[in-house]
Amino acid sequence: MSSLNTSLATALSGLMAEQGALEATTNNVANVNTPGYSRQVPVMVTRDPVVQDHLTFGTGVKLERLESVRDAILDSQIQQETQTQGHLGALVAALSETQTNFTSTTGDIGTAISKFFDSINQLSTNPADLSLRQNVLTAAGNVGAAFNLASTRLTAQRTNLDASAQQTVGQINQLTKQIAQLNQQISNLQNAGDNPGTFIDQRTQLIDQLSSLIDVSVIPTDNTVTLTTSSGTALVAGQQSFQLSTQLDSSGVQHIFSQGTDITSRIVSGQLGGVLETRDRQIPGIQSQLDTLAAGLANAVNQVQAGGFDRNGNAGTNLFNPPPASGAAASLSVALTDPSLVAASSDGIAGDNGNAEALYALRNQAIVNGETPTDYYSGIVFNVGNASANAKAEQSASDLVLQQLNDQRASVSGVSLDQEAANMMRYQQAYAASAQVISSINSMMQTVINMKNS
Amino acid sequence: MRVNPNPLPDLISAIAQTQQQINTDLEQIASGQSINRPSDNPAGAALLVRNAGKTAETDQFLRSASGISGGMQNADSALSSVITILQRAISLGIEGANGTVNASDRAAVAAEVQGIQSELLSLANLSYQGNFVFAGTATQTAPYVLDSTTPSGVRYVGNSGVNAVTVGDHLAVKTNLPGSQLFSAAGADVFQAIQDLITNLQSGSNIDAAVNEVSNAYHHISAQRVFYGNAINQLSSQQTFLNSQTTQLAEQANTIGGADLSKVISDLVNAQTAREATLGAVSKTQQTNLFDYIK
Repeated sequence: MSSLNTSLATALSGLMAEQGALEATTNNVANVNTPGYSRQVPVMVTRDPVVQDHLTFGTGVKLERLESVRDAILDSQIQQETQTQGHLGALVAALSETQTNFTSTTGDIGTAISKFFDSINQLSTNPADLSLRQNVLTAAGNVGAAFNLASTRLTAQRTNLDASAQQTVGQINQLTKQIAQLNQQISNLQNAGDNPGTFIDQRTQLIDQLSSLIDVSVIPTDNTVTLTTSSGTALVAGQQSFQLSTQLDSSGVQHIFSQGTDITSRIVSGQLGGVLETRDRQIPGIQSQLDTLAAGLANAVNQVQAGGFDRNGNAGTNLFNPPPASGAAASLSVALTDPSLVAASSDGIAGDNGNAEALYALRNQAIVNGETPTDYYSGIVFNVGNASANAKAEQSASDLVLQQLNDQRASVSGVSLDQEAANMMRYQQAYAASAQVISSINSMMQTVINMKNS
Repeated sequence: MRVNPNPLPDLISAIAQTQQQINTDLEQIASGQSINRPSDNPAGAALLVRNAGKTAETDQFLRSASGISGGMQNADSALSSVITILQRAISLGIEGANGTVNASDRAAVAAEVQGIQSELLSLANLSYQGNFVFAGTATQTAPYVLDSTTPSGVRYVGNSGVNAVTVGDHLAVKTNLPGSQLFSAAGADVFQAIQDLITNLQSGSNIDAAVNEVSNAYHHISAQRVFYGNAINQLSSQQTFLNSQTTQLAEQANTIGGADLSKVISDLVNAQTAREATLGAVSKTQQTNLFDYIK
C-alpha cells in the first residue's frame, strides 16, 4: 500500500522532470541563432510502477534524456549538395576571371588579329611605303602581345588556383582533425550514457564545412562516423584523421597525396574539386586552343612570307618567330625589325603587291584547324563563355536545392520561439501543479501529525 | 506540420537575387549591351567576335578603296591633261601642214611641240604618294628617261606589272595601267608620234602622216583612260556597298548584343519593386512571438 511519502516522491519526480524539461527550452532559446544547432526535446518516461496487493501504483516521471532533433538523411543530402555547391562556386569564380581575357576590348586577341590583317590590306594599296610596312610589323607585334598577355594571365590564374588548392588542403586537414576529436568525445559520452547532442551538432556542422571543400562520403559506425572521399580515400576513421599532403610535380603544380598515393585526379567535388578542375582541365584546355590559334596563324603567315620578296628584292623570311611545339601563345613574337623585310612583293619588285594580297587572303582562309583565325577565336570565346554560363546555371540550381534542404532541416531541427514559449508555459504549469500536489501532501501529513497530538 | 521557424535566410537570399538582377540591369543600361562577358550569352558572344572581325574588314576595305580611288583620280586627271595637250599637238601639226606656212613658222611650231613633249614626259612620270603612277610595279623610279639614242627620244624603264588590291569579298580591283600599255603601246606610241611630228615639222615633209600618228596616240590614250573612269566608278559603287554593309553589320551586332533598353528598364523597375517588397517583408517578419504575450 502506498504511503504519503511515496506520493511525495512521485510529486517530486514531476517537479524535477519539468525543471529538467525547462532546461531544454532554456537551452533552445539561448541557441536560437546558433548555426547548426538542433533543438532539444526532453524525453520523459514514466517510472516503473510498483505493485502492492494487486494494485499497481505509478511512481512518477523520469526525464530520461534531452534529445537533439535531427534527420540523418537530410543531413547527408545537405552534405552532398554542399559538395556540389563548393565545386560550382570554385568553378564559377575561376571561370569568371578566365573569361575577362575574352571580353571584347581594343586589346583582345580577336581585335589584334583583325588589325593585323587590316594593316596588310592597307600595305597592299601602297606596297613600297615604309610607314605602312612598319604598321604591319607593329600590328603583328600587337597580335603577339595579345596572345602573350592572355597566356600570362591564364598561367597566373593557374598559379593562384594552385596556391588555393594548397590552402584548401590545409583547411581539410584542420577539419578532419577536429572531426576525429569530436568522434572521440561523442563516443566517450555515449559510452558513459550521456547525451552527446551538442557535439553531434558540432560534428555535423564541421562535416558540412568539409563537404564544401572536398567530396565526402559519410559512413556512420556505432558511435562515430567514418569519412572517405567518394573514391574511397580515408579522411577520418573513428578517432583518427588521415592528413592529406601536397607535393609539386614536374610541371610545377601541386598534387594531392593521401598516405603516399596521388589522389589529385580522383577529387571531383567540393571547392577543391572545382579548383582542380579549372587548374587541370579548363585553363589548360583554353591555353591549348590559344596555342593552336597562335601557331596556325604564325606558321601560315611565315609560309606566305617565304613565298614572296621583301622591298629589297630578297626572298621573304619569317615574320613571326617560328612557334614552339607547345606554348605558342606564350611565346608568339615578331622576328622582323626592319619594315622593308615584309614580303609584300611576289616578284622582287618593290612596288608589286602580289604577296601582300596573298598574306591578306589568309584572313579568310582555313588556316587554324580548318577554320579562319577569327572563326577559331570566336569558337574559343564560345567555349569559355559556355563553360562559365553552365557553371553559373548549375550553381543557381544547386543554390535553390540547398536552400530547400536547409529549409527542411530548419523545419525539423530549428528552434521556434513560439514553440519554446508554449513549452515553457506547459512545463511551468506542470511544475506548479506538482508543487501544489506537494503542498497538499504536506497538509495531509500535517493532518496526520496533528491527529496524534490531539 | 512543423515549418521552418526562421525564414530570414531565405528572404536574404531573395534580396540577394533581386539585387543581382538590379546590378545586371544597371550594367546593361550603362553599357547599352546585353552581352558584357562571354558567359552572358556564349553563342551571341561568338557571333559578336565574327561580326567585329567582319566590321573591321569592311572598314578597312573602305579605307583601301578610298585610298586607291584617290590615286586613280590623280592618274585620271593626268591622262586628261595628256589628252588636252595631244589635242593641241594635233592642231599645231595641222597648222604646220598648211602649205602656206613658211619654214621659219614651222620651226616655231616645232619648238612649241617640243614644249609639249617635255610636258608629256613630266605627266608620264607623275608621282603620287612616293610612287610613279605609270611605271607598272616599278614604282620607285621614274618610268621615262630621256634617251637621244632611241627613235622616240625616251626610254621606258618601268615594267608591265599591274597591282590588284582586295576591296571586298572576292573583289580585287586593278589599280594601275603601266606606261608600256599607255604611252608606249605598239602602233600608238605617244612619244614616238610627238618626236615624229617635231622631226617632220622641222623637215617640212610628211607632216600629215605625223599628225595621223599623234591622232592615233590620242585615240589610244582616250580609250585607255576609260580604265580609270571605270575603276573609279567601280570603287565608288563598292564604297556604297561597303557602307551599307557596315550599317547592316552594326544592326546585326545590335540585334545580337544590344540591350533592349525598354525591356531592361522595366525589368529594373520590377526588380526594384520586388526588392522593396522583400525588404518590407523582412522588416515585418517575426516582430513578435509568443513570449511577448506571456505575462
